[in-house]
Amino acid sequence: MIKTISKTQKFMMNCVLVQLFIFTYLNIKILFVVGKGHGGTR
Amino acid sequence: MAKIVVLGAGVSGHTAVSFLNKTLGKDHEVIMVSPNSNYQWIPSNIWLGVGRMKRKHLVFPLAPIYKKAKIKHILAKAISFHPEGDSQEEKGYILVEYVSGDNKGKQEKVSYDFLVNGTGPKLNFEATPGLIPETNNLVSVCTYTHAEHAWHELDKLIQRMKKGEHVKILVGSGHALATCQGAAFEYILNIDHELRRYKVRDKATITWISNEYELGDFGVDGGVFNVFGEQLTSKELGEMVFNDRDIKWIKRAGVYKIENNTAFYETLDGVEASESFDFGMLIPSFSGHGFKAFDKNGNEITEKLFAPNGFMKVDADYTKRPYEEWTVQDWPETYQNPSYANIFAPGIAFAPPHAISKPRKSVNGRAIFPAPPRTGMPSGISAKVVADNITDMVKNNTMTASHKGSMGNMGAACVASSGYGLFRGTGISMTMTPIVPDYKKYPDTGGRELKNTIGSYGLAGHWLKLALHYMFIYKAKLKPFWWLIPE
Ligand SMILES: Cc1cc2nc3c(=O)[nH]c(=O)nc-3n(C[C@H](O)[C@H](O)[C@H](O)COP(=O)(O)OP(=O)(O)OC[C@H]3O[C@@H](n4cnc5c(N)ncnc54)[C@H](O)[C@@H]3O)c2cc1C
Repeated sequence: MIKTISKTQKFMMNCVLVQLFIFTYLNIKILFVVGKGHGGTR
Repeated sequence: MAKIVVLGAGVSGHTAVSFLNKTLGKDHEVIMVSPNSNYQWIPSNIWLGVGRMKRKHLVFPLAPIYKKAKIKHILAKAISFHPEGDSQEEKGYILVEYVSGDNKGKQEKVSYDFLVNGTGPKLNFEATPGLIPETNNLVSVCTYTHAEHAWHELDKLIQRMKKGEHVKILVGSGHALATCQGAAFEYILNIDHELRRYKVRDKATITWISNEYELGDFGVDGGVFNVFGEQLTSKELGEMVFNDRDIKWIKRAGVYKIENNTAFYETLDGVEASESFDFGMLIPSFSGHGFKAFDKNGNEITEKLFAPNGFMKVDADYTKRPYEEWTVQDWPETYQNPSYANIFAPGIAFAPPHAISKPRKSVNGRAIFPAPPRTGMPSGISAKVVADNITDMVKNNTMTASHKGSMGNMGAACVASSGYGLFRGTGISMTMTPIVPDYKKYPDTGGRELKNTIGSYGLAGHWLKLALHYMFIYKAKLKPFWWLIPE
């Protein structure tokens, strides 16, 4: 069954305060993913 | 003094030339060969294609930047590769043809000690008969000129809708083996957003058509993400987003022809069908540029440098194996050509060993699955790896490439955002580690490390896209401390 986005989730998606928090989290996460570096696999 | 030639001023070539110039520029010669006098930040073409940005926001001339950095820019396109030189030229060289000015049409040999091929993809529209932008109600957003035309056409369509006309919009893959679903996905969300802004959304049927087995595959075999606090597969996420925006979808479809404003396709279960449209943006298949290579005596050695699809052979394992036997170890680590250790191909220019998504054929034998994407982040990282290796090779007088960056051991962040401005936008942001799933290392989580594979849907993702736009343009302009901004 296809998942739907609830009214609360929609509110959260556009709530500036909540999104500011998520934005900070995403930036840290991305910095972590990038900062973790890269290398070979063999 | 070493001479390093970089081909292509796109994401990978520009990254490579900038780092090489920073590390070697003072004592060595670093040259850019590119037919385009401008740099374009391609991801923002999406905003150009819906009229929310102008060309000047994402395109800028390279001349002042290269002049300031003292990088020589030859405004020409590479024609053929001569890695052993010839009877007159000792060193390997590239035959180039000037594309502008008094020298236009003139051909010249540009010799090198090290060569970086960052020529990206050829947009292979011809592979799908009829898939030509500006014909058959078709547009493209793959280049800034295409994207400007796309907005021009979309604007005209909106005017027709305002007069009450109902229209059909089709966006997705224009070939059974096309890649770059992410760009098409972002464009369809932006069209939906703009039609709502112009209050004509009820006048359009918007349909997604794709060669993906499931929505959200994106050519990387999909993924599992933590969204709204629960674990969702990329299929569930894609369906949820399209359902929420009333976007219809056709999946497992191999488009093979466009005629009379209609896309003809076959699905994996062998059904032949068609979809007409008033406005279509279908991503073409990508190929290499069809370069030829020659040895010292002028004999053709193209197969030594290039794979049959025209992309450059690098340190990948190209042995043909079934999907079940594919491993991350097949993917290149140094982007160095196995026959000529002084030639490298980062970004889209390198020949991938195989797809990432499971290859599938229709009951009639047509291969229908996405080719592997190489987005901005791996393109930039592979270019940096190449620049680091060449720097070491020049400084330490060695031919061993010790810096590595495999897509099987590299994380990526992807953002698909719709809308524009600070408070009117929604973005899906995802991080995934690694890009090529490692099913041996992470057998229970779709080949990915779950704690670094997250998703988010909301305004924050849109801010991220905006932030990335400004950050990467700052970096590409080589403004102070540009090198601190990660790829
Ligand atoms: C519409 C769209 C949206 C996208 N959005 C995103 C996104 O949001 N995030 C993301 O990470 N990625 C995105 N991508 C993918 C991203 O743009 C590519 O991964 C990236 O541009 C690849 O870099 P590249 O250097 O390999 O190729 P390119 O950037 O295509 O550069 C190739 C360069 O080579 C030059 N060239 C071509 N032929 C020759 C020749 N014969 N001689 C010399 N030079 C030549 C070209 O002029 C060009 O400058 C998007 C792509 C598209 C099309």
